[in-house]
Amino acid sequence: MLTLTSPVRTWAHGVRAWVKLGALCLWTVALLRIDGVWLAGAVVLVLALAASGGRVFLAQWLAMLRPLWPFAVLITLWQLWLGAPLGAWPIIARLGAAVGLANAVTMTTELAEIITLLTRLARPLARLGLNPKVLGLSVALVLRFVPVMLLRYDQIALAFRARSPRRPGWRILMPVLLAALDDADRVAEALRARGGAG
Amino acid sequence: MAGSGIELRGVGYSVAGKAILTGIDLHLTESRIGIVGRNGSGKTSLLRVMAGLVAPSVGTVTVAGKDPARDRRAMLAQVGILFQNPDHQILFPTVGEELAFGLTQMGQSAKAARMAARALLANEGRAHWESAATHTLSQGQRQYLCLLAILAMQPATLLLDEPFAALDLPSQARLRRKLAGLGQQIITISHDPEAVADCDRVIWLEGGRVAMDGPAGPVLAAFTGEMARIGGLDADADLAS
Amino acid sequence: MERNLTHIALFAALIAVLGLIPKIDLISGVPITAQSLGIMLCGTVLGAKRGFLAVVLFVVLVAAGLPLLSGGRGGIGLFVGPSAGYLIGFPFAAFVAGLVVERWQVRVGVAAFAGAILGGIVVLYAFGIPGMALALGKTLPEAALLATPFLVGDLIKAVLAALVTQTIAQARPGALLSRA
Ligand SMILES: Nc1ncnc2c1ncn2[C@@H]1O[C@H](COP(=O)(O)OP(=O)(O)OP(=O)(O)O)[C@@H](O)[C@H]1O
Ligand SMILES: [Mg+2]
Repeated sequence: MLTLTSPVRTWAHGVRAWVKLGALCLWTVALLRIDGVWLAGAVVLVLALAASGGRVFLAQWLAMLRPLWPFAVLITLWQLWLGAPLGAWPIIARLGAAVGLANAVTMTTELAEIITLLTRLARPLARLGLNPKVLGLSVALVLRFVPVMLLRYDQIALAFRARSPRRPGWRILMPVLLAALDDADRVAEALRARGGAG
Repeated sequence: MAGSGIELRGVGYSVAGKAILTGIDLHLTESRIGIVGRNGSGKTSLLRVMAGLVAPSVGTVTVAGKDPARDRRAMLAQVGILFQNPDHQILFPTVGEELAFGLTQMGQSAKAARMAARALLANEGRAHWESAATHTLSQGQRQYLCLLAILAMQPATLLLDEPFAALDLPSQARLRRKLAGLGQQIITISHDPEAVADCDRVIWLEGGRVAMDGPAGPVLAAFTGEMARIGGLDADADLAS
Repeated sequence: MERNLTHIALFAALIAVLGLIPKIDLISGVPITAQSLGIMLCGTVLGAKRGFLAVVLFVVLVAAGLPLLSGGRGGIGLFVGPSAGYLIGFPFAAFVAGLVVERWQVRVGVAAFAGAILGGIVVLYAFGIPGMALALGKTLPEAALLATPFLVGDLIKAVLAALVTQTIAQARPGALLSRA
């Protein structure tokens, strides 16, 4: 799941969020323009960066890349079928290097810091009636709701399996959503209890 | 001060035409107050009305002379609420942010709030919690975090909804000790008479009305007696059917 | 106010969660998951404005580098890839879906189905196809051809969106902010 910030503190935790996000931005754009040795170098660089956080950090970083595996396998198979297996390499390398650095930024940046940055970027929107403080709060709420909703899904899936031999799948989408809607109402109250959003 | 404590006059609360609370008149000034009642008797609803999270359908509520549903700013320093389910209370993905939020809401700068949160955790011997993800804490730990988040704001009154329900025995004892040491007014909701036995005053809710109100001893004796009677009745009814 | 905010955040989170639950990824650089169902629901349940904001919130988080897009993807990289058009089109898709439900006062399920088709398919493809064409160096018709395999899945999702919206209207009428 969403690993927000790594519990292992690295040197990169100390780097300003806007520097890291800016670098990530340049990095992803640059990746699209490089090839061959340069691309290989980029992959090595990302690996080295992740490794600089230590063993635990590296393991966590690798775990976060796991969702990309099926993607990599399918691209390889696709390219094999086309008769150009080497064509898979640049696609996978770019993907891995881009997501890898993005994950590393995520793992080394406190959410509060990203929020501060976003709030600053959104300041011009205040004139359109969008309160930048609310933006920061809503970002935090989304990140809070994702694990809560997944937990709900697991709970309801378990309850389903305890009473049915079938796989839960789509059948429990509705109960999960209704429970989440009720949760959102309660959270709105909790927010009100602590001074509200305004 | 004009009107101290929490005062409810002729309060009724209904949702979609269904009466949940009826004819509640209470003036809560004692330093330790317990509210007991069966499941669904309206304890949580009463707490939400008292805290101003919802406005009563009829009657008036005042907290330290102010309307809690309107004057939310003033209420931050007046009432802190510990919700029955911590997942409904935690707003932030990490512990540090959760603790700092209330303080920034009260006007502290983000940095000061951050420092205060850190100090609070260190004081509790849980400095390592600061950047922990809230969803990785156990239920009991999450509830403890919620309590810390409220205490950080130093409200005059604490409203606790079933604070002991999710805790194991040592944690219950620890929480009890911690609460006993607090100078604030504490209103504790529970279906367990044990949890409110030490209170100066206990209010027994039944079907959204105050069934009994007074010193802990007699109210709890009557409450446990009635609960035992109802429990027995259900068993009898089951046997008969 | 608080309620609007938590519901907007909830639906932004819902889009992410729908991308995490059933992991059905077809490959062509474009995600085919339940995530676009989330986009449709943002509009049909929250309404045009709030739905738009919820999806913007989601897209901003993805751009900020959080791996919330199906398959654990995130970051600015996505915005220069073949799915960039879809990502940018997401909020507008939700807006149009919401607008239909708000304005067309027929049975909410019917309006939600129409909204999901118009917003979640017509509008979304209008953004997505040029994006793909641009990134893959194809012509518009070629890119449109690439997008057609997704049409069946998206039609199914429009039906699901209608059913879910209808159920919410019955089970939690207060939560159906598009008709509040
Ligand atoms: N949003 C709502 N809509 C309809 N009925 C509600 C709502 N919230 C509460 N109720 C009803 O109000 C009554 C009192 O609920 P409340 O949550 O206050 O009880 P409680 O005493 O806290 O119970 P418990 O011990 O189970 O926490 C219950 O019968 C409940 O069904
Ligand atoms: Mg309750």
